Amino acid sequence: MIPFIAADNPIHHILDRPVSGAEHITLFGKPAITIHMVSLLIAAIVAFIVLRIAARNIAIGREEEGTDRYLTSGKLSSVIEVISLYMRDNVIKPVLGHETAKFLPYLLSLFFFILTCNLLGMIPFMDMQVTTAKLGWGSEVDWAVFGGTATSNLGVTLGLGIVSFIVIQIHAFKSLGLGGWAHHLTGGAPLYLLPIMLPIELMGIFIKPAALAIRLFANMVAGHTMLAVLMMFGMLAFKATGNWVLTGGVELISTIAAVCISFLELFVAFLQAFIFMFLTTVFIGQMSHHDDEHGHAEAAH
Amino acid sequence: MNMFIASDSPVDVQLLTLGTTIVVFIIFFVLASKFVWPHIVGGLEQREQKLRDDLEAAEEARKQAKEALTQYEEELKKARAEAGEMIAKARQDAKAAAEELRSNNARELAELKTAAASDIESAKKAAIGELHAEASTLAVAIAGKILQREISESDQQQLVNESLAEMSGTNS
Repeated sequence: MIPFIAADNPIHHILDRPVSGAEHITLFGKPAITIHMVSLLIAAIVAFIVLRIAARNIAIGREEEGTDRYLTSGKLSSVIEVISLYMRDNVIKPVLGHETAKFLPYLLSLFFFILTCNLLGMIPFMDMQVTTAKLGWGSEVDWAVFGGTATSNLGVTLGLGIVSFIVIQIHAFKSLGLGGWAHHLTGGAPLYLLPIMLPIELMGIFIKPAALAIRLFANMVAGHTMLAVLMMFGMLAFKATGNWVLTGGVELISTIAAVCISFLELFVAFLQAFIFMFLTTVFIGQMSHHDDEHGHAEAAH
Repeated sequence: MNMFIASDSPVDVQLLTLGTTIVVFIIFFVLASKFVWPHIVGGLEQREQKLRDDLEAAEEARKQAKEALTQYEEELKKARAEAGEMIAKARQDAKAAAEELRSNNARELAELKTAAASDIESAKKAAIGELHAEASTLAVAIAGKILQREISESDQQQLVNESLAEMSGTNS
C-alpha cells in the first residue's frame, strides 16, 4: 500500500542501497553501484549544467549587445551570482586575503556541489520510483535506481572531507614549508607542553576534516530521519488501531509537521553546505603563512 | 538485514562510495574550474572594473562640470561687472554729450542773439541815417519855400550837415 512504502525503520529511508537490477554487481562483497553513487553523479551533472548556464549568463556579453552585456540574465543565474559574490567578498576574502583567487574555484565548487546534493535529497525521487514501480508493474521490491540524499552517507561526506584535508595540507606545506608546518604543530606553546601539544595538534589535522564530514552527515541524517519518522506516524496509527479516520487525523498533523520540517531542512541544506565550505576556508586560512606570528597563533587556536 | 540495503547502519562507511565521491567531486571541480568559474569570476571582476571605471569617470566629469560652473559663474560675474561699468560709462558719456550739446546750443544762441542785436543796431543806424537825410532834404525844401529863394546845393549840404550835427547833439 502506498502509505506504507516507508520502511518500518525510518533509518532505512536514509540508508544507501544497490541500484535496482544491479544488486548482483559487487566489489569486495559490497554492492558496486548504489543509489547514492548515482545520486552523487546526477548532482554533479546537474550542478555543472546549472553553473555552466549561469556562467554564460554572468559572463560579460558581446560588444554589439551594448550596455546590456554587463547585465546578468536569468533569475537562477542572478541568485548564483549573488551567492558567489557574497561568498567571495564576505566569507572567503576576509579569511584568505590575497590567496582568495587561488582557492575560490575549489571552495565555490565545494559549496555548490554539496548544496546540489542536499537540495536533490529534498526531492523524494526514491519514493516516487518505488511508488511508480508498485503501482505501475506491481513490483514486489522497492524499485529505485537513484534518490536519497547523497550527503547523508558518511562515505560521501568523508570523501569530501578527505579532498578538503588534501587541499589544506598541500597548501600548508606550500605556504609554511616543512619547518613551518612542524612548528605549527606546537601551536606556539612552551617546550615542556610539547608532549601534550604534538599529539593533540597531530590529531587535530585529521579531526578537523573528519568533523566537517560528520557534521554534514549528521545534519542530513537527522533531518531526513525526522521527516521519515513524521511520515511514519500515520502508518503506526493504522497498525495500532486499524481506524482510517484516526489514521487520517494523525497523518494530517504529521504531514503539516513534515512540511514545516521540510522548510527547516531547506535552510539546513544551504547552511550545511555553507558551513562545510566556510570551515574549509578557515582551515586553509590557518595554514597560510602569516607575517605576524601573534596573529598566526591566534588564528590557529 | 534488509537485502536491498547496502548496509545496516548509516555510520557504516563504504570505501567504494567514498572513492566514488572523491573521483566524482574531483571531475566536477576540474570541469567547473575550466568551464564555469573563470567565466563567473571573470564576469564579476569585469563588471566591478566597469563599475569602478564608470564611477571614476562620473566623478571626474562631476569635478570638471563643477570647475566649469565655477569658471562660468566667475566669467558671468566679470561680464556683469563689465556691463555695469559700460552702462555707467555710457550714461556718463551721454550726460556729457548732452551737457556739451546744451552749452553749444546756449553759446550759439547767444552768438545768434548778439549777431541779431548787431544787425538790428546797424539797421537802426542806417534807418536813422536815411531818415536824417530825408528829413534834411524835406526841411531844406520847406525852408526854401519859406525863404522863397533857391538854395544852392552847397548851401543845402551845409545846412544838412549843420542840422545833422544838431540832431546828433540832441539824440546823444
